[in-house]
Amino acid sequence: MAFNYDKYLRLEKMPTLWCWGCGDGVILKAFVRAIEKMGINQDDICVVSGIGCSGRFSSYVDFNTVHTTHGRTVAYATGIKLSRPDKLVVCVAGDGDALAIGGNHTIHACRRNIDMTMIIINNFIYGLTNSQTSPTTPKGMWTVSQKAGNIDPTFDTCDLAIASGASFVARETMLEPKKLEKVLIKAMKHNGFSMMEVLSNCHINLGRKNKMVSAMANLEWIDSITISKKKYDTMSEEEQLNLLPLGVLKEDIEADEYCAMYAEIQEVHQGLRGKITQDDFAKKI
Amino acid sequence: MAASPMVNPGDQPVWVNTDNCKACDICVSVCPSGVLGMKYESTSTLGAMISIDHPEACIGCNECELTCPDFAIYVADKQEYKAAGFSFAKLTDDAKARQEQIVANNYMSLSEQGVK
Repeated sequence: MAFNYDKYLRLEKMPTLWCWGCGDGVILKAFVRAIEKMGINQDDICVVSGIGCSGRFSSYVDFNTVHTTHGRTVAYATGIKLSRPDKLVVCVAGDGDALAIGGNHTIHACRRNIDMTMIIINNFIYGLTNSQTSPTTPKGMWTVSQKAGNIDPTFDTCDLAIASGASFVARETMLEPKKLEKVLIKAMKHNGFSMMEVLSNCHINLGRKNKMVSAMANLEWIDSITISKKKYDTMSEEEQLNLLPLGVLKEDIEADEYCAMYAEIQEVHQGLRGKITQDDFAKKI
Repeated sequence: MAASPMVNPGDQPVWVNTDNCKACDICVSVCPSGVLGMKYESTSTLGAMISIDHPEACIGCNECELTCPDFAIYVADKQEYKAAGFSFAKLTDDAKARQEQIVANNYMSLSEQGVK
């Protein structure tokens, strides 16, 4: 007997609709293993996904799942979390879903620091709709919408989340599933908004026109642009230029969590306590 | 109902569910000891299918299972496998050399011509 995935998957939907070698499947597997290790009941988890290849994520796991509209993943998840603060809420979104059309939802969820985990699967392209430029497509790459080469500057997802106030920010790749599993557990246990950016491959829609025809070629490219945070910190600015650090980039366990503050508002309305004032907060501005 | 594909079919260290396999080569590339290889299969979408050529060399590192995106390959649980009276192999130089040859052969089994 190997690890029992049967328990967590909707087997009637297997095999997955994703292309051969797609990193989304590896992330799904790491997520299922992380849930098993944490020992959470399947009925106590809600997985919310949006539109895109990553949107299929919620179809395959046998938890409470919501497949929502494009970019509004975090908005739905915020509502679910506020009504049932005892449940674990996990959003899964792609780079286009979370950073382009849903960009505002993402930064404001980070700002509120509401207790949920957001997994952004970054494959550097709009994969489902056949390779249009996404906010994370590297400069100079061929896409359907920029056939002469992409000239748009790229988003750094983790920097965006740190600046917006998320209290846990990490970046991992699908190349190291064991490490990904560990960091996922850390992110889900964190009390506050945790943002996980997972770099994934799309050799079908990004790779074929950019000299990365096979899954392995695309993964080697991802390996070449990433480096562990420990090594990254010792490098000069010139060496850091085209590299992305991997690992936990920010962890703040003291930040005020939104659901706890929201419960206090309810107490005010029930007459159990006086109005909330600035003295209730350690960090006021 | 058929037996779950996650149940060991007969005291194997590693086994596959060919219904799920899409022949993406990832498991072959991450194996350190040349256990796996692809073989030509005309009924498969990509014209190839995973095969386990050297189960006796499996070291039980679990890398192939973890990096498989399609839930198609499984590795025996270490403790259960030992309790049944079997043990995983140690990583040898022969196995490492075989793995290098398989990668050079475009992830195909050494009995196949590596042109895809």
